[in-house]
Order: sequence, then C-alpha cells, then structure tokens
Amino acid sequence: MVEIPFIQRVIAVAWPSFLTAGLATILFFVAFDPQDLAALLGKTKSSRMGVYTVGFFLFWLLTLTSCLLTCYFQRPCETKNA
Amino acid sequence: MSENKPTVKPSAAAVSESDPESSSFYAKHKKVYPREVHGIFRNLRTIGILVLLGLYYGVAWLQWDGHQAVLFDLPARKFYVFGLTFWPQDFFFFAWLLVIAALSLFYFTALAGRLWCGYACPQTVWTEAFLWIERKIEGTRGQQMKRDKSEMSATKFRIKALKHIVWIAFALFTGFTFVGYFTPIRELAGNILSFSLGPWETFWILFYSFATYGNAGWMREQVCIYMCPYARFQSAMFDKDTLIIAYDEKRGEPRGSRKRGIDPKEKGLGDCVDCTLCVQVCPTGIDIRNGLQYECIGCAACIDVCDDVMDKMGYEKGLIRYTTEHNLSGQKTKILRPRIIMYTLLLLALAGGLVYAVSQRVLLELDIIRDRSGLYRETDEGLIDNIYTLKIINMDQKPHQYELSVSGLEGMELIVKKPEITANSGEVVDLPVTVRLDPAVLERASNEIEFTLTAKDDPELTRTETGRFVGPRI
Repeated sequence: MVEIPFIQRVIAVAWPSFLTAGLATILFFVAFDPQDLAALLGKTKSSRMGVYTVGFFLFWLLTLTSCLLTCYFQRPCETKNA
Repeated sequence: MSENKPTVKPSAAAVSESDPESSSFYAKHKKVYPREVHGIFRNLRTIGILVLLGLYYGVAWLQWDGHQAVLFDLPARKFYVFGLTFWPQDFFFFAWLLVIAALSLFYFTALAGRLWCGYACPQTVWTEAFLWIERKIEGTRGQQMKRDKSEMSATKFRIKALKHIVWIAFALFTGFTFVGYFTPIRELAGNILSFSLGPWETFWILFYSFATYGNAGWMREQVCIYMCPYARFQSAMFDKDTLIIAYDEKRGEPRGSRKRGIDPKEKGLGDCVDCTLCVQVCPTGIDIRNGLQYECIGCAACIDVCDDVMDKMGYEKGLIRYTTEHNLSGQKTKILRPRIIMYTLLLLALAGGLVYAVSQRVLLELDIIRDRSGLYRETDEGLIDNIYTLKIINMDQKPHQYELSVSGLEGMELIVKKPEITANSGEVVDLPVTVRLDPAVLERASNEIEFTLTAKDDPELTRTETGRFVGPRI
C-alpha cells in the first residue's frame, strides 16, 4: 500500500470539512438572524459578524470531527493480536 | 533573455528529472517552474486575467444610488446588487443562481473542455498573478531553478524575502477587497487607515490573505490536482466532440531531435523535435504528449510554445492544438449534439425564469404573529378580540405608506393603534393590531382570515397573508 503523506491526510480532513462548514453556515444564518438568537439567549450586545464567525468555526469543528472519524474508521481493523 | 525566446535544442533532458524534490504543503512533489511563454493563447489569457482581476478589485468601489453597488452586507443581512436588494427571504434566488452557474460549467465543459480552469478559475487567475510577480523579482525559469539549488546567501535571501513581501502585500490587498464585499469597503478602508478595524473584519482579512498567499504562492497546481472537486469529475462531461488540447501523435511520432532543414522523413522521424518545451511551460508539470490527462487545466501554453517551434523548424503549426477526439481520428466534429442542445434549452429556461422571477418580486414582506398571551379576549360588550403582531418589511429601496385590510369573516373590525402605517426602505416594522368580531357570526372556533397590506402609492405592491381568528367553543 502506498503511504499517504501526513500533510495530505490533514488536508483530506480539513478541506472537505471547511467546504461543508461554509455551506452549513450559509444555510443556518439564512434561516436564523444572529440577533434573534442572541435575544433568545438574553444577550443584547453581540455583533452579527462575530456570531457568523463563531458559528462558522463551530460548524467546522463539527464537520472536522466527522471527517476525522471517517478517516479513523476507514483504517483496516487489526486482525491479529500483537 | 534567452528564456523568453524558446530555442530548439536537441534532446534537452526531461526537465523534471533535474528538479529538486521538495516537500510541499500537500504532497511530496517536484516544484514546477513554468517557463514563460508568448503567443495568441497567452495573450488571450492575459487579457482575461486582467479583466477578471480588474473587476474583482474595481467593482467593490463602485457606488450606486448612495450605496456600494455590489455589497453582500452581512452585518445588515441585505445583499445589494446594483439597483436590486436581496433579503434572507430571497435565498431561493441565490440557490437558483448557483444551479445556473453549475449548469453553465457543465455546458462549457461539454462544449469546450476545461475553459474555466485555463482562463477564469480564481486559482488560475491568482496563480498567474503570483507567477508574474515571481518572474519580475526572481527572473526567468532557469535563474529560479539555479537559485533554488544554490546555497543560501545574502543575495538569495534578499530576493526571496522581497518576493514574499510583495506576495503578502498583494494577498493582503486581496483579502481586504474580499471582506470589502461583505462589509462596506469605504468604511473598512477608513477603519484601517485610522487603526480602528473591528476584530472580526481583521480576522477575515488575514484569513483570506493567508488563503490567497498559500494557494497562489505555494500550492498552485496542487490545488487543481488534489483539492479541486471539479477536476475530479469534469471528465464525465467529456465526449469525443469536446474541445481538448491534444498532441497529434500520428504527425509527431516518432519524435526525435534533428538539425534544421533536414527532411524528417529521410530519418524516419515525425514532426516532434522532442525539445520538451511543452513540458517546460506546463503549469501542472505534465507531458501533453502522453495524451489527455486530468492534471491538464487547458491553459494552452503548450500550444503557443509548440507553434513557435514549428514555425522555426518551417513545419506547419498545430502539432499540439485545440481539437477533438473525433477530429484527431479523422472524423468530423459534431457541435450540436443532444446533450449540448439539452443544456442550452435548460440554461435558457432557467436564466429566463430567474430574470422573470426577480422582476416579479414583491418588495414587501408580511408575517402574522398571533399574540401568545391567550387565544382570544372578550370585551364588555360580548365581542371577541384577537390580537396579532404584524411584521412588515419594506424591501424596496424607498419608503412607503401602506393600507391594511382584513377579510374572510363577515363584520370584522380592524383596530390599528397607529394612525399611519409607514416603513422606510429596509425597515422592519412591528405593528400590533386587534381584530374584533361579534361571535354570533362564528360557525366554528378557529377560522381563517386574510390580512392584505398594500402600498398607497403602488397598488401592485401588495401582500396577503393568512392568519387564524379564534373564538369560543361552539
């Protein structure tokens, strides 16, 4: 089996999760106004740009986790005991 | 300046063999040093790149009717595109536009191969800009390769540092312009000059600048080869009539070096002089003579350089050329094929539909929210009150005064506390209203009623929304 360079594996996880996180952020914030969300949480002072940014990174964290797990589980199971 | 004028040297060693192998961002690969090229396609690409970069950096500064002409104002949740304003409610149009964009990409791919990749993709456009800067500072391909192999010295460090400083400055300006499409660019520029830029804007400018610097300066063709989803599936749109860049194997082989003026047939050679210039100019570092490869972004640099060589040798141009598989095998190319006709019709229908739908948009939004404190209220006279909050959004670019009416049940009285219902451009107005009714006319507890809001100065600017009127159990 060809050894895939470490950096290539990193990008194979980071890049698709970045794309899907971007998409999720757009869809989520089209439906919900950050200021309405802030009002629900009882916070009055929050910039929309800030909420978008934090929202994007939370989505990225989520998709990153999922991509990492896919990467982890696709490795072949160890069949023999060491 | 010998690099600018390709010379035909017999049996130049394949370039990639002598390149230093470097560990890069993505995968272990050999750094590609594309040789500068001149010719008709190079000129076309330069014009395309200048126009696209000009649009990107220029449009952000255009004004229209007192606001930035193209502004996806995320802080205000409004998108301005010249005379049009879009709201989150109009997301549908955006999705529609994306479908059209995707279909156009399929259409052009089926028709003319990877035109997008070679001429218009931002990755190509910015890589070309970065390559141009690199050449201006580091010199020709040969000079760059020599310097990279040499030991670090003060001169080498100075040249490399200068290149990166210019790259980073250019990337920062690109990032600034990018953020300028999402938050008003004039304010942004003012904030930068007065050192009062907000933390989120700062972050995104740096983020996008870093992406530009990394993608166009370092990763380049690797983005196309490893990261681009389109590159992986574009071949599915290809058929034997798609325009591709191809090497005419029948004419070129057997390849081999020769002296100028010698009849190749005598030596049993084809037209390819094996000068490897087509490999040297390739930005993705492939050999087009190995056939159509998915790394080929269709930039046509090999066509330009080979035509030059053919001219010098006194051979006919077009050993490498834009052609189709059918053409190469001696058949006729069919342009109007079922998939092209289908894409054309579909695109026309979608684009026409979008223009029509946008032009028919009603620039008024009305939401009916029932009061949560109770289903209904009984007045002293025994009448039933239902309380609502109407959310009115004026999506037009000018203020309006509106008239409200309610229908659906006989004898309803509409009580609005405000004397006038007005909303400025882009304003969201919460309007509390009460609907009063004699319960004698009610046939059931829950009834549908309709609120209609109409602009006084434009009867076509009207919205009707359904609400519920609730009375006592019957």
